[in-house]
Order: sequence, then structure tokens, then C-alpha cells
Amino acid sequence: MSAPGDRDLWSEALGGLRAELRRRLGSVRAETGEPEDPEAGVDWVALVDDLRRRFGQLGMRERSGEVDDFGLDPETIRSVRGALGFLRERWWRTEVVGLEQVPDDRAVLFVANHSGLLPWDGLVLADTIAMAHGEARRPRFLIADWLITLPFVQPALARLGGVRACPENAERLLTTERSVVAFPEGVKGAAKSFKDRYRLQRFGRGGAVRLALAADVPLVPVAIVGAEEAHPILFRVEAPARALGLPFLPVTPTFPWLGPLGALPLPAKWVISFGEPLATPPHSPDTARDDLLVARLTEELRAEVQRLVKEALAIRQGVFT
Amino acid sequence: MTRSIAITGLRTFLGRRLAERLSAQPELSLIGLDRLRPQGLALGVEFREVDLTRPDAGAALVDIFHKEDVQGVVHLAFRREPSPDLEGDHELETIGSLHLLHAVAGAGVPRLLLGSSTMVYGPHPDNPNFLTEEHPLRGHRHAHCVQNRVETERLVADWSARHPACSVTVLRPCWIVGPTYGDAVTRYLRRSTVPTLLGYDPLLQLIHEEDCLDAFERAALGHHPGVYNVVAPGVVPLSTLLRRAGKRLLPVPPPLLYRLRAYPSQAQTGDRPEGFYDYLRYLWVADGRRGWEAFGRPLYSTREAWMAAVSAERMRSYR
Repeated sequence: MSAPGDRDLWSEALGGLRAELRRRLGSVRAETGEPEDPEAGVDWVALVDDLRRRFGQLGMRERSGEVDDFGLDPETIRSVRGALGFLRERWWRTEVVGLEQVPDDRAVLFVANHSGLLPWDGLVLADTIAMAHGEARRPRFLIADWLITLPFVQPALARLGGVRACPENAERLLTTERSVVAFPEGVKGAAKSFKDRYRLQRFGRGGAVRLALAADVPLVPVAIVGAEEAHPILFRVEAPARALGLPFLPVTPTFPWLGPLGALPLPAKWVISFGEPLATPPHSPDTARDDLLVARLTEELRAEVQRLVKEALAIRQGVFT
Repeated sequence: MTRSIAITGLRTFLGRRLAERLSAQPELSLIGLDRLRPQGLALGVEFREVDLTRPDAGAALVDIFHKEDVQGVVHLAFRREPSPDLEGDHELETIGSLHLLHAVAGAGVPRLLLGSSTMVYGPHPDNPNFLTEEHPLRGHRHAHCVQNRVETERLVADWSARHPACSVTVLRPCWIVGPTYGDAVTRYLRRSTVPTLLGYDPLLQLIHEEDCLDAFERAALGHHPGVYNVVAPGVVPLSTLLRRAGKRLLPVPPPLLYRLRAYPSQAQTGDRPEGFYDYLRYLWVADGRRGWEAFGRPLYSTREAWMAAVSAERMRSYR
């Protein structure tokens, strides 16, 4: 409990201190050449407040706060653009083939082969399209469920344009005119061991084709070669991974031997090869429900991506050249 | 001809404010129901004492509905926030709703409006980014009030199938914020240092109290059978919300946070901490398009609703 008298005493003492500070600091100000105001001096309280405000603003700037409805933050994308560009152009020397076949005036469903544990392939593909067709056409890449549950990974991927792979999300994106990158191989694709790295797994249950037919968007097959060498999986370890809640733990030439450094991707050469949009029957509400048609188109799509992978491999001379 | 509408849970925020709004309507007489008489009853609201936890509540309600010739019931008798009395909450929220349903059927009331919450979808890592009204109601097994609402919604859906004569509207608002609204959630968000889950930053959705009341008012006056999410457009990450309000974040590893049972904001809910903090861990954003078509688009987006609540809070600190 402080009586009113105490408070007066305090403010008087503080006032005295302040006058003393001003008298002593008056000379400092004269040396720095600022207009001297003998009455005011340096207002340290205002200075500290100002500094705090400025640092606070810096803190705010890293998060713009303007995320779109799927959590993509343009500010985050802008801040990592340099690093991503370096990875794409210098580290992986990505070669892009067939980009002119991608329609740039409407939403597209990209269907690509998947490899590698971290979704580098989706991120680089999305970035390539955004570079070529403008930021507004940046596609969202679908990410597997198990990545969603990981701390730190999920928020980061969401800010960069990753969206949990489920039909509701893809449908909503496509119907609101936003392109989507789907990896129908799913976790099976990510878990491919090194010897099977160029062989495509089964394409889910035809969900991607069904979605494209329902939303009436073109299906563009894409082959991404190089991501499998960025984190080549020698073999998988399952028992300790379960304890951590992961589907499996990969053993790569660098991980876990080098610890966190092992998470760095190897500088393999990448080729991204776009195919022609898949020929689909004219849009009608029934096509998406025609299971036989969906199955046939899914197989066609898989064969086309597999063909593109082989073609892309022919473009590369070796893994690193 | 005057219509008459009954509101249960007159002392809740939504009940009181909705009664105030509806009492301004011409040709509408209002019957407010609650266990105790509220202070500052709005003009034109007639109060009747009903305790939904009593076994004879159904018969008492039928009497009132018949006598006043009630044409619609707005059911809002739910706890504003979980209390440690788990049994009591269950008796009021689930069994009380059951009594009410029996009375509505017994008196042949043609309309029922149920106030629920989007929390019934539950926070789950495998939720789609936008939950539509058809999504299964999974709730959260450690949030007993949410489980009560899930159970109530199931009861209402079953009951509604057996009583096609009554048209049922269910509104599911997300977390409400605003200058005058307060509950356990706003109390958590009002702290100057807010504990969050380390490594998680979900997108959140908030609705302004006035927008929420608008939707309830329109639903009570119009004819909108079905289920509607009542949410504001736009989503904002939790960290952005807190930083915008100038708060300090205290990221705590989830396993540790889940062991802090005695944490002040969580000690009074009677639930394990997961029951609240999982809502700050995983996504549970609802799709509002159907509600916007029926009741109009909210005036405040999520961010604006939050800023309105924060600035009101700031103004309150000046004396």
C-alpha cells in the first residue's frame, strides 16, 4: 500500500533525476551537431520508446499477417525467394522443358511423380510456374498427412503454399481458379528406395483424375527428375520412427550420419518436364462418376508421366551433370 | 397477428442480446426462459422460470408453449464455458436439450433454432482446410462441453428425422469475439503473455458478436431449415493475431503444456488441457459460404473482429 504522499515524493525524485540527466547530456548533444535546445536535451524515455517501436515493427515485418484462406503468406514467399532461386538455379541447375504447353490463363491440375521426403519437388515446381506465369498463378502443392502433424514443418509449408492432400481442399482450390500440384503416388512415392527411384508407383485410386473432371480443369503431366537424388533413400528404418510418430525413418548417404546437416539436399541436376494436357472427354457432370473412364485416364496419365521421366533422364548426362 | 418466440438460456450472452434485438420487432412477443430471473430484462420480454435440469422440465415447457401459443423456440441454454461440474454440464446441455425436444414435439411447435458451435468438428490433423456442414462431428474427447454439444446435435438430428413437422435450424458459430463478449477463450486471448504450442501455428477463425447475433436474428425471424456455419471470412494464424494485439507469445512444447493442469486459464474447465489447447494446435476452420448465402456476409472479417475486440479492451484500460 502506498499513500498518495509517497507517490508525490517519487515523482518529485524522478523529476530531479531527469533534470540532472538533461543538464549533463546537453554537452553530448552539442558535439553531435544537432540543434541544441538547452531546455529539452535528450529525451531518453522517448528514445527508448522509439527504438522499441522500430524493433517491434521489424518483428512485425517478418509476418505480414495477410495470409490467404489456405495459409499462404506472400511475405514469407518473398523472403525465401532468393534462397529458393539459388537452390533451383545454382544448386540443382534445374532445366525446364515443355513449359509452353502449360495453359497460363486458367487453373491447372499438375500431376507429378513424387520422391524425396521433404516436399522439395512441389515447392520447386510451384516456384517454376510462379516465375513463368506470375505470382497470381502460383500453384499449391499437396502434402502428405504425416507431414501435417509435424511441429514447425506444417506451419512453414502452409505459408509457402502447401496444402494437406485431401479431395475437399483440391476441389476448393480448383473451383476458385487456383492451380494444384498433386502427387498421386503419395507416401509410397516418397518412400521409394534408390533402386526404384524412376519407377512410378500406383496412382492412388484415381482421385486426381476425378477431381480434374469434376472441376473441368486441364490435367498436365509433369516429370521431376533429380528430387530422388536430393535425398536418396538407401533404406528405411521403421521401428524407431514409430516411436516418433513418423511412417519411417530414411537412411540416406548424409542422414543421419551428419546429423541436421544431413537434411541438406545433394546438388543433383534437376529436370522438370511438362507434358501436353491430357485429352479428356468434353465436360459433363457424369464424367467424374464414370469409374471405368477415370481408371483408364489414370493409367494413361501414369504412363505419360513415366514416359516424361524417361525423356527427362535422357536430357541429363549424369546425376550431377 | 402477433407471433410468439421462446428463448431458452435467457441469461447467456446470445440469449440476452438476441432477446433485446427481437423485442424491437413489431408483432412479435418474446418469452424468455431460464433458471433464474436475469437482471436488466429487456422491455417486452416476458420471463418464465424453467429449470432444464429437472426431470419435469418437459411438462413445464409444454405448459408454457401451449399457454403462450409459441411458434418458434430458440435453444441457447448451453454453458458459456466448461465448468468443473462435468455431471451438471451434461445434465443441462444434453439432457436439458432432450427435455426441450420432447416439449417442442409435445406442444407441436413448428420451428426450432439450435445454437451450436464449430468446435463440434474438433481439431484434427486430418481435417480439410474448410469444414463443410456435412463433415462428421468428431469433437474432442477431452472437451466435455464440446462432447455435450456433439451429442445434442445428434439427438436433434435423430429427433428431426422423426418429427418432420418441425423445421430445425442449427447454427454453428466459431469463436466469438467483440467489445462486450467474454468467455474462457477470450480470457485466454486477453492475457498479456499467451502460452502457445511450440511448433504449431494454426489458422484461426473468429466472428464478431454483432455478426453472430445478426445471423441468429435472421435465422429466428426467417425460415431457414438446415445446418449453417456462422463464421467470418478470412483466416489468421494464431501468432499473427497475438502479435497484432501486441502480446508476448510463450511457446511451450505441447507435452509440457498438456501436463500443466493447474495453469490458471485452464484450471476451471474441468477438462484436461488437451481439450482446449488442441484447438490451438490443429486446423478446425469451417466453410461459411452456405451461411453467408442465407444470412448475408458478416460485416467484420476475422481480422477486423479481432481488432475490434482488442481496441475495445485497450480503451477499457484508460481511466
